[in-house]
Amino acid sequence: MACCSTVSFLVVPHYYWCSSSRLTCNFACSSYCSSVASSFVNALNAVVPEKGDLRTKAGLWDSIRSGLLKTSPMAVTEPEIKDDEIELEDEVVLVEKVQTDGTIEKIIFASSGEVDVYELELLCDKVGWPRRPPSKVAAALKNSYMVASLHLHRQPPSTDGDIPAPEKRELIGMARATSDHAFNATIWDVLVDPLYQGQGLGKALLEQMVRTLLRRDIGNITLFADAQVVDFYRGLGFESDPEGIKGMFWYPRY
Amino acid sequence: MTLTNMLISHSNLGFCSDFSRPLLLPLLLPPPPPAGSSFQPFVSRLTSIVGSTGILQNDRKLRQTCQVMAAAPSYSEAAGVTESGMFSQSDDDLNSRGFEIHMSRDDINLDKLNSLFVMVGFPRREKGKLLRALEHTVSLLWIHEKKSGSIIGFARATGDSIFNAIIWDVVVDPSYQGLGLGKVMMERLIADLVKRGISNIALYAEPNVVGFYQPLGFISDPDGIRAMAYSRRRR
Repeated sequence: MACCSTVSFLVVPHYYWCSSSRLTCNFACSSYCSSVASSFVNALNAVVPEKGDLRTKAGLWDSIRSGLLKTSPMAVTEPEIKDDEIELEDEVVLVEKVQTDGTIEKIIFASSGEVDVYELELLCDKVGWPRRPPSKVAAALKNSYMVASLHLHRQPPSTDGDIPAPEKRELIGMARATSDHAFNATIWDVLVDPLYQGQGLGKALLEQMVRTLLRRDIGNITLFADAQVVDFYRGLGFESDPEGIKGMFWYPRY
Repeated sequence: MTLTNMLISHSNLGFCSDFSRPLLLPLLLPPPPPAGSSFQPFVSRLTSIVGSTGILQNDRKLRQTCQVMAAAPSYSEAAGVTESGMFSQSDDDLNSRGFEIHMSRDDINLDKLNSLFVMVGFPRREKGKLLRALEHTVSLLWIHEKKSGSIIGFARATGDSIFNAIIWDVVVDPSYQGLGLGKVMMERLIADLVKRGISNIALYAEPNVVGFYQPLGFISDPDGIRAMAYSRRRR
């Protein structure tokens, strides 16, 4: 974690259950970069919800919340315990920055797949990728095992006292993976807005994605890399032509 | 896309038309002829209808195409996949030698599949995980050997069903290798993917089988693209 006078970088995992009636834990440690925060993060990393155990976890969140949060209190409601496994959704704040005018900017990684096809189309234009029919893109995203995104969230300072200004959200990066949900996953369509390249966001996007895939027990994570990005993926732990295995394409169209 | 191409593109009826294209007056076209029937009446029926619209009266290539199609029921499935437009061995050929092609996961026996995996040196997969993998597989093919009742060939493809597909787990029982069954499976799997409109079909080939995939139309590292896999060892 790096600190500087005007910008603070902190990787903080949010654990929340994506439903209005579920337990929500939303904490922000803006401009706070210290060992206390890191141990707090480690403690939270160790907290894994177990089925039927959410009431005891609520106590833990309460004590953490009262001790550390400076922002407005969040609602802690009794969670709905479903019959099937409770899905853990990860959002990771990769970058948090407070501008001089008070605007809060956050770059958030999410693997929940909430990508608007038209926003994606704009992003693809920016990197010079050919357009594809939006309906097909929507279907392809829906059929993907994981759609990871980077969004830039901008919250301007509140002009009306208690009422916070609306937060604006912009898609600045995406990657998706197809998989058989058991053994193999293949990563496709990795892109980052040129304006935000060179900051390590692509690296963070892939790292989070790989971490999520490994957590879901997908052992074989593969991809096809264009010649100019092979080194980028090597740096992330990918090996080219592993054991001499070659990637082959059926009558490829260049 | 020429009209000829449109006509020979994916057709579920094995017939010289594509009913989804309004240009072809689908209501007027007769039902497909039964397999093995003489192609002459078929061609004349088609040209009499199409001829009346003045579109294809003189299209010699189309006539030739329709002749081939009428003669080989498996043509349209293989169209665009094999050079001849026909599978190297037809379903009937295979049946007469005791091999049944299946492309549904419904009656697949996981134990028999695992036996096949073990025979070729793959790890035996945990059944729950294997079932989950098959449920999220876009297209698969298995060969049932009638006498022994075992599965002697398997191949599957995963993907997003729209743009990309990856072919995995292409295996043939060592006792039945060298009979062209690998090619039989690949032709059909690719034809199925092409029929679904998937244009990008890829796979990861071990060095000793790159030569097997090349004649089937696969090119390795096209345009410098490299296959990569995450390696936990390095972490």
